[in-house]
Amino acid sequence: MHVEFYGVPRERAGTASLEVDANTLGELFGTLAARIPSLGEFICEDRLQSTLVANLNGDKFVSDPATPLDRNDCVLILSADAGG
Amino acid sequence: MTFGYHGRYLRIDVSSGLAEYVPLADALLRQFIGGSGLGVRILLDEGAAQVDPLAPAAPLVFAFSPLVGSPLTTSAKFAVVSKSPLTGRINDSLASSGFAVAGKRCGCDAIVIVGRATELSVLVIDEKTQARSKPNVRMESAEEYPGSTCQETERALRARLAADFRIASIGPAGERGVRYATISHDGRHAGRGGSGAVLGSKNIKAIAVRGSRYTEYAHQQKLTELSRSLSKRSFGPATAKYRELGTATNLLTFNRFGALPTRNFQSGSFDEAASLSPEQLSATRSKTRESCVTCTIGCEHIYSLGKTGVRVEYENLFALGSLCGIGDADSVLRASQRCDELGLDTISAGGTIAFAMECVEHGWLDEPWLKFGSRDALLRAIDLIGSRTGIGDLLAEGSRRAACVIGHNSISIAPQVKGLEIPGYEPRALQTMALGFAVGARGADHNRSGAYEVDFSDKVDRRHVTVDAVRHAIETEDRAALMDSLILCKFLRGVFEDFYGEAAEMLRSVTGWDATAEEMRETARRIVSAKREFNVLAGWTPAEDTLPERFLNSPLPNDPAASLSREHLNTLVAEYHRQRGW
Repeated sequence: MHVEFYGVPRERAGTASLEVDANTLGELFGTLAARIPSLGEFICEDRLQSTLVANLNGDKFVSDPATPLDRNDCVLILSADAGG
Repeated sequence: MTFGYHGRYLRIDVSSGLAEYVPLADALLRQFIGGSGLGVRILLDEGAAQVDPLAPAAPLVFAFSPLVGSPLTTSAKFAVVSKSPLTGRINDSLASSGFAVAGKRCGCDAIVIVGRATELSVLVIDEKTQARSKPNVRMESAEEYPGSTCQETERALRARLAADFRIASIGPAGERGVRYATISHDGRHAGRGGSGAVLGSKNIKAIAVRGSRYTEYAHQQKLTELSRSLSKRSFGPATAKYRELGTATNLLTFNRFGALPTRNFQSGSFDEAASLSPEQLSATRSKTRESCVTCTIGCEHIYSLGKTGVRVEYENLFALGSLCGIGDADSVLRASQRCDELGLDTISAGGTIAFAMECVEHGWLDEPWLKFGSRDALLRAIDLIGSRTGIGDLLAEGSRRAACVIGHNSISIAPQVKGLEIPGYEPRALQTMALGFAVGARGADHNRSGAYEVDFSDKVDRRHVTVDAVRHAIETEDRAALMDSLILCKFLRGVFEDFYGEAAEMLRSVTGWDATAEEMRETARRIVSAKREFNVLAGWTPAEDTLPERFLNSPLPNDPAASLSREHLNTLVAEYHRQRGW
């Protein structure tokens, strides 16, 4: 699926987006931590740390590692404190 | 006397030059702490709610707090509290840095200004050279400074008085009574609601303070430990966003979610957003970072503009960029810099100009040059507002008053709540925030309600919120009220695991009170209620707790799911009032 980064995650990832294969949200985070070590401090095993959040297709914020993902999904990763 | 406090405020009548200390009871301080809370309580006691905010009798409060002067990171802040000339309701604006520390060292927990000087003046409070019991306050002529920018005034006054004075000043906009003029200190602004117009109405161009009176802390060692812990956490991931990119990073995020107000809220996304993003700004110009006094976060990102630098925040980029349809970064930075110089709230300036641009599109306003996307129009409008010249005189009144003059039911598209222009959060796409805006005591406001945090979480469906969202909105409002009264920077909020517990611990170490987390929660609610009490006395009615028709009549054009009906908003507001016990 497509993964988009915003703000600090984008800085750390060094890219605005990339393509990843994963069946669940937890699997996605595990893959990201392995592929992008600079994101590691924000990922705790199969979950994001509380300073980041994930959103599915611009609609729903998701955190359960068991959340199923479809190959056509788009996962957005951004800072939890979106305002300011 | 309670530790952390002086136990009194300094009341100055600038009509007569008379200054006196007024005692503050320990019980009152414990109930309202400082900052916004203390300021509102003083205003209520001064009977300010029923007074015209620009009349000589209207009080203007600069409130400090028990934490000011302590080593706790981000605690060098002050609140400016008054009745707003823009809304006619309570207004509390916060700013940071050395003025807070120097003001408190003048031996008072707040400075209250009433009256009107006979000529444009500088109010000098010099505790350093005063006898113990009598305040050393004097008025000096400001005849050299009419029309000077905030920065020019500050520089000139420190050269004239002494380098250890700290200055809060107004720009030309405050002198001319622009209803959203700011009070500026060290490049930062007590920005919203027009406190600069209130100071200007008193014929005070600037306030200069210096002092040497320190307060003692009840448990110095514990306070040092807490300060070290908080500073250490402030370097961690919870504040990385502010350190690394600043609030400007919201721009692309909000654009992706269709929540970036564009062309006077006609759309939630902006085609040219990328050109205003911090990523793009960093790629094309140099950048430095700055911090307020005592702050370890360093959120201020200063981008180069020619030979100068401009402090860039999300709200500037949205209000002077996408809201006015302008994607040229140089223009938006220049407009932001011009607002700083004139002493204008960028959100209200951008909101009012964008509103006027749409009125021109509809043929309701005969100013054909004032077009969305026109850099020249934006800069020209800002200057006209600052000088109250031509159409600028009307726009200086803010969008609500301007709409009343323009007619054509333009009030339905005036982007305001209670007269305060809406910040950069599209209410239809962020509906918990929509509730926060509707019920906000000072109007549409992202600093007194952090309800957007709820929308960016799995607690609600941001485009279909239910009454379950109400308690979350209340929680963010209560937390903000306490942070604004302690006072601590909200950019720290992510570092607290138990905010109310830690707040109580800080207060215990400073004051020696046996404060608890539950007491802090009660205090927060008391402060929110005090603001409402002020508004009720000022004429508030429940009908004010709403949004403009635009947001309640139609979904966002590019996102049909982002729709909010009047009936549903009314349900949310009614539930909010019920849960507040109002």
